[in-house]
This record gives sequence, structure tokens and C-alpha cells, in this order.
Amino acid sequence: MSLDEPTSGQGTASPQIRQPSLGPIGWARWIWRNLTSMRTALFLLLLLSVAAVPGSIFPQRTIDPGRVADYLVDNPTTGPWLDRLGFFAVYTSPWFSAVYLLLLVSLIGCIIPRSRLHWHAIRSRPPRAPARLERLAAHTTFTYAGPPTKALAAASAGLRRRRYRVHAHDDASVSAEIGYLRETGNLVFHLALCLVIVGVAVGHLWGWRGDVIVPEGQTFTSTFRSYHTFSGGALVDPLAVPPFSMRIDRFDVRFEEQVGGSQFGAPRGFTAYTSTSEGPGQATSQQVLSVNEPVSLGGADVFLLGNGYAPVVTVRDAAGTILYRQATPFLAQDNFYTSVGAIKVPAASPKMLGFSGFFLPTVDPTFANGPVSEFPALKNPELALSVWEGNLFPGGRSQSVYTLNTSELTAVPKADGQPLLIRLAPGQTYPLPGRGSITFDSVSRFAGLSVRSDPGKGLTLLAALLTIAGLITSLLVRRRRVFVRAAADPADATATLVTIGALSKTADPGLAAALQGLADEMAGRSSGAAAAARPERT
Amino acid sequence: MPLSTALPAVAVIGAAPSPELAGAANLALYSSMAVFTIAMLLYTAYLAALGPVSREGQNGDRAQELVTVAADALGAGVTRADSASGGATGAAGGASAGAAADEVAALAGPSLRARKLAGSAYGMTCLATLVLIGSVVLRGLAVMRPPWGNMFEFATAGATAAAVAYCVLARRNRWEWLGLFVVGPVLLTLGTALLAFYTEAAELMPALKSVWLVIHVTVAILAVGVFVLGFSVGVVYLARSHREASPPARRTFWETLPSAASLERTAYGLNMVGFILWTFTLVAGAIWAQKAWGSYWTWDPKEVWTFVVWVVYAAYMHARATAGWEPRKAMWIAIAGFVTVVLNFAVVNVFFVGQHSYSGL
Repeated sequence: MSLDEPTSGQGTASPQIRQPSLGPIGWARWIWRNLTSMRTALFLLLLLSVAAVPGSIFPQRTIDPGRVADYLVDNPTTGPWLDRLGFFAVYTSPWFSAVYLLLLVSLIGCIIPRSRLHWHAIRSRPPRAPARLERLAAHTTFTYAGPPTKALAAASAGLRRRRYRVHAHDDASVSAEIGYLRETGNLVFHLALCLVIVGVAVGHLWGWRGDVIVPEGQTFTSTFRSYHTFSGGALVDPLAVPPFSMRIDRFDVRFEEQVGGSQFGAPRGFTAYTSTSEGPGQATSQQVLSVNEPVSLGGADVFLLGNGYAPVVTVRDAAGTILYRQATPFLAQDNFYTSVGAIKVPAASPKMLGFSGFFLPTVDPTFANGPVSEFPALKNPELALSVWEGNLFPGGRSQSVYTLNTSELTAVPKADGQPLLIRLAPGQTYPLPGRGSITFDSVSRFAGLSVRSDPGKGLTLLAALLTIAGLITSLLVRRRRVFVRAAADPADATATLVTIGALSKTADPGLAAALQGLADEMAGRSSGAAAAARPERT
Repeated sequence: MPLSTALPAVAVIGAAPSPELAGAANLALYSSMAVFTIAMLLYTAYLAALGPVSREGQNGDRAQELVTVAADALGAGVTRADSASGGATGAAGGASAGAAADEVAALAGPSLRARKLAGSAYGMTCLATLVLIGSVVLRGLAVMRPPWGNMFEFATAGATAAAVAYCVLARRNRWEWLGLFVVGPVLLTLGTALLAFYTEAAELMPALKSVWLVIHVTVAILAVGVFVLGFSVGVVYLARSHREASPPARRTFWETLPSAASLERTAYGLNMVGFILWTFTLVAGAIWAQKAWGSYWTWDPKEVWTFVVWVVYAAYMHARATAGWEPRKAMWIAIAGFVTVVLNFAVVNVFFVGQHSYSGL
């Protein structure tokens, strides 16, 4: 897989020719040859680009499992088939993996022999000058005022100054070569691509992430159990999760109010002011956490990836005893933070109580468009809840904290039997006759934190930078060979007839100019010599 | 943000976007489109004026004289043209004698009228580009940040990059013939940006407030600008090489363009530069993703398509170096690459759900 050395065409044998039969080793070699050929690499590259596309069209489990579930519900016929074929986890699917692994094998199969060749090439001397330099792509002949030895010495000096590798195979000629870096860059580029994959693999095996929602004023202490979701690579020791703590002292948000249209209500700033500690008993420090500005703690990075509202709600029993009081996070469903959530009060009697519904930071009191928020900031907040009673935890199964499982719950109606929807502004209380009351005390915010550790990212970054360096080198460096031959001038005994020939491995429009620059310099012609030498790139 | 430190305090206090400046930016954008339209008409007239190649230039004693004169110009012109095109494989190296004759005719051929048209078309293009740069600068001042935070701004900046690249390269490389094929797409992009993508001047969302916006998006804009030129030259190459392979009965302006082999080298050089810039875009984007989202690669739709663009252009580079692959077939892969660039912008930003939700629509 190089940009310089075309591979020969294969598989064009005519049917009349009886081919020798291949043994197992022959077949293995044939497969290997084909797999590592440029045509296969090219085909696999095109296949890779096509195979990557479905992952951008279909929802992916690793990114948004909720959307995958929705898709399966909406498409009961095609959904399960797409699922079986791996369309919801494209980048871990067997077919995608097959393509990139084959490409990787093809790549390695190409790099190894080429590295060996290049290793020999960079230690070898430039080849002997061909007999007829005038047959080369670029050549020039001129008369040098001096003996041949001086002419060749001048040529060698000029070439060395241009950083050519110079060698004289005999007394009448000099061979020089430059641009070994082209192939070096090419190999570095391809090796670095392999290294990128190693870095990614390290991240997958030893990396982990935990996500957690922390309301303002609360402290999060990191252990792998304290995260709401935690996922780690196969080789992660969950007990090695750093035991740092972070308190969200204050959380400032800002939304667009001045500009109308689609920008109205767009987020403008999220900043969390935190108190952090690397572990129990360690000093506390104040750190600002915001989008694009993660905080490093105990070897892991804390990112601010989400936010929302956590209404503070109090539920009392009929005697006025507090059964429930806490900031309850509601998850935003749209850009204006129409949020859904649930309040679960298992301590209520005679039956467990559950509330589910919406939190709207800026409500249109008429509900003209239904329970939706009209602006993301707290301009006119309201809590709209329905009330349920019965068993909150049927079967004792784990469940979402943001929804009620209503399979063993019944809706509590209004006194007149109509469906009940409690609408509360901050400070308001709604009495639930015979059951107690619910009070909407205030609104606090929560920060959605994501804590990540990826031990492979440094390696991946290094490899990516090497990729760029290798690519630029391999595409911009030109590999050239220059040969100089000196012969006594038949017309003038004191002068020498010098012939310079040059060739390049690639199309090289600057070659003639570079050659002329050297000739002019040797002949002592200053006119245009410097200018002509300049286009030469090394 | 670097801009805010360099500007007077009064402007900084009004960190809120300035509708007046944004209005002026839009006015400049409309003006530049008007001038681009004139340039496009002039370029069309220029190509028409090249029209049937003068018979005089192809036979008789005069031809020899013209060839000698033109060969000098050709030598100089080609050397410069190809120093921009970087390395190219031998496969495309040699132009056929017929193509070379065409090239000579192209240089000797243009009538005074055609040359005048080309000159004014180029002048108009430069003027329009200057006005367009003015529009981008005004927009930047209006929003007090690099003006590439949403699709409208990105499209405008991308078109500017293509126009600037053309203006800079056209003079040295005698790319009058390319004018129509650059000014056309630029106008189309600006029109689409205004009609379909227009977004009020506003502050950025928090995810975009980063120095990486300057690094990642600027390089992406440059890459797209160069890809536009590479695509245009590639399309001209395909048409030219088709006509070279099966010469039509009547010679038109196509026959006055540089030879197919030379066009192919130019397109390769441009696509190669675009590919390097795109690689950088990809890596810078991953670094930014690590900082903003906590992971350098999550197969977000935008990441997927940036990767797809990269892989398709990588395939083009390999196809070009593979013996048995005609340059024409390889060029089709580059054209496909450009299609993925367009899809990556116009479709992925608008219709696909992902973290790059900055279209502003």
C-alpha cells in the first residue's frame, strides 16, 4: 500500500493455459499475495467507507440506546432483522470488524516487506551511473574550466550541500540520491495507523466511564458503585476507580434571550463551581467545571456533559410528618427543558404514593400547546404531576428513577372522579385528602457529570500526530537520483566536459530546474542559478 | 477569544451580537454575489470566445513560430503549476503529442478579445472575493468570534476559502479556464447559505466555545475550499479526457484547455493538499471531542462522515498509484469523495441526530 510502487495486475490468466496446481502452502501464499496487494487494499478501503455509513443512519446502542428501543417499537418488522444483522451496533459488528481487520492485515502485510526493503535502501550507496546519461528524464552537458577531478569534486560538494547522499563508484562519475524520507514518511504513516488502533484497543480494555447526576449543593463521592451508570473495559479493576469527591457549590446557566428565531433559548453558558478533593482526608480545593473545560481528579477526568432541573419537593403524611424531601432530578426532553420525572414515596400509607409528570421552567399557564416549556430558563416554573398509589416496585425489579412503573399502581382521581393533574408553582402545596400533601418548595439545578479514564489516549494522540507527519513527508518529499560524469574535453585540454543526468521516482516537474541549478553553479554562472535551484524540494 | 483582546473595549462590552454589523455583513455578501455573477458571465463569455480554435494557429509557418513562443511560456507555466501539485506518479506523467499540441494552441490561441474577457473576469472575481472577505470579517465583528459557528457561517467561509485559493493560484497557473468552474460553485454555495442556512448573528453554544473552533474548523474550511478546486479541475479533466479519447468533430473551447494529463496532475495536487488538511481536521476534531465530550471518538454521525470522506480520498490516492487503474477511474473516486464532503455538510448536519448539532437551523 504505497503511493509510489504500482502493483502488477493479477488474475488475468487465460482459460486455455493449464495452470500448475497449488498445494496448501501455495494457496496460502496466493491468498496472502492477494490480500496484501494494492488492489485489495483499495477495495477494502472503499468497502470500509460504505460499511461505516449505516452507523450514521441508524441509532447506535453505544450512543443512544433509547433511540434504538424507539426504533424497534416503530419498526416491528424490519427492526429485529436490522438488530440481528448488527445495524444498531455497526462498529462492533462482525462485518465491519471483518473489513477493518482485513485492511489491517493487508496493511501489515505490505509494510513489513517494504520496511525491510527501505532498511536496505537507506543503508545502501547510490547506484552506479548509467552509461548514457542523456537518456535520463533530465540531463544537461556543459564545459567545466578545470580538470575532471576538480569537476567531480565540485559536483560532489554541490550535491552534498543540497543534502544528497553522494558516492563515487569510479574516477569518472559521481552518483547521488536524495529523498529517502519519502518512503520513511510513507512507512511511518502506515505504521502510525496501526498504532492508532493499538491506542484505541488499550482504551477499550483499560478505560472506563461513569455517569452521575449531582444536584446543586450535593456532594458526589466516586466509587464504581456510586455512579448511576458505569461501564469499563474487560481489564478494568472497578476497585481502582479513584475515590475523589466533588461538591457542586453553584451551577450557573445562561440562555439566548436577545436573538430571536432558531437561536432563541439556545444555551450560552454552563458553569459549575465545585469543591473537590482527591480522596478522603485530602485537602479541598475550588475548581470551575464547564463545557470544554474538564477537571482532572485522581487520574480521571470529570466532564460536564449534561444539566437540568431538580425541583425540591416535600411530601407529608396526613399528620404532617415529612415522608420525602429532596431535590429530584427531572430529565429535559427538548431544547426548552420540558422535563419529565417521578417522585416515589414508598413510606406513604395506607399505600405507597407515586407522582409522575412534567417540570416546566417557563410555562404557558393555558397549556395551549400542552405541557411544554417555552424557555429553558426559570421564568415561570411549574410542576404538573399526576398521582398514583399502590405498589411502586412490582416484582422488586430495578427501574428507572425518572418514570413510574404503573402496572401495580392506580391513578388517584379528583374528588369528583375526574383525572387529577396537580399544577404547582414554587411555594405552593396541594392537599391530598386522607393521604397527606405535596409541596413544591423550590427549584435547584443538577449537573450531569461524566467521569472518564482512557489510558490509551496518549498513545492514540501520538500515533495520530505521527500519521500527519508521515503523510506530509511522504507526499511532499521527492526522491531523486543525480549522476555526474566528467570526461576530458577533446577541444580544450584544460577543460572538462561534464554531463549531469537526473531522474525521479515520481512525476517531478522541478527536476530539470534543480539540475540546471547545479550545472550553473559548477560552471560559475550566477545568472538565474539561485532562482533555478530554488524550486528543488527535499 | 483572541478577537476580543485585540479589539477596543467598547466593542467587547457589547459582547452581545451586533445586528447592525451583521446587516452590513449580509449587504456585503449580496454585493459580492452580484460581482461574482458578473465574473461568471465574463468567464462564460471568455470560454465562448475561445470557441472554435483559430485555424491559423494550427498550420502553416506561423504555427512553428507560435509553438516556439508558446513552448517557453508553457515551460514556465507548467513548472509553476506543478510545483503546487506535488508528487505525481509516472502513470500520468507523459502528455501525448496531440495533447501537447493542444496545449500549445491553448497558449497561442486566445484572441485579444478572449484575453481581455479573461482579464476582466479575473479582476471581477478578485473584487468579489475581497468584498466576500469583508463580509466574513464584518460577521466576525458582529458576533465577536471567528464567524464559523453554524452552517451559514461555515458555508460562507468555505466559499471564501475556495475563492481566495482560486484568486491566489489562478494568476500563476493561468487558470482562466477554471474560473467558471469555481465561481459557479461559489455562487451556488453562497446562495444556498443565504436561502437555506441563514442564521441570526448570535453567541456560540457552550460546546463551541473553545480555541479548537479556530483550529479544527478553520482547517476544515481550508480543506473544503481546496477540495472544491480539486473537484472542479477533476470534472474539467473528465470532460477533457473524454474528448481526447474520442475527439469530437467540432473543436470547441475544451480543446484549448490544458491537456488531460496536466489537468489530472493539477487535480491530484489539489486533492492531495485537501487530503492532508482533512487528516489534520480529523485529528484536531478528535482532540477537541476528547476535551468537550470526554471521548476522542464516539462514532457520532459527523465523525463517521468525516472518516468516510477521509477513507474515500485515501482510496483515491491509492487508486491513482495502482497500476491497472486508469486515472479516469481514480478521478471518479475523488469525485465521490467530494460528494461525501457535500453530504457531510448538507445532509449530516441537518438530518442526522448527533452531537454536532450546531447547524443553527
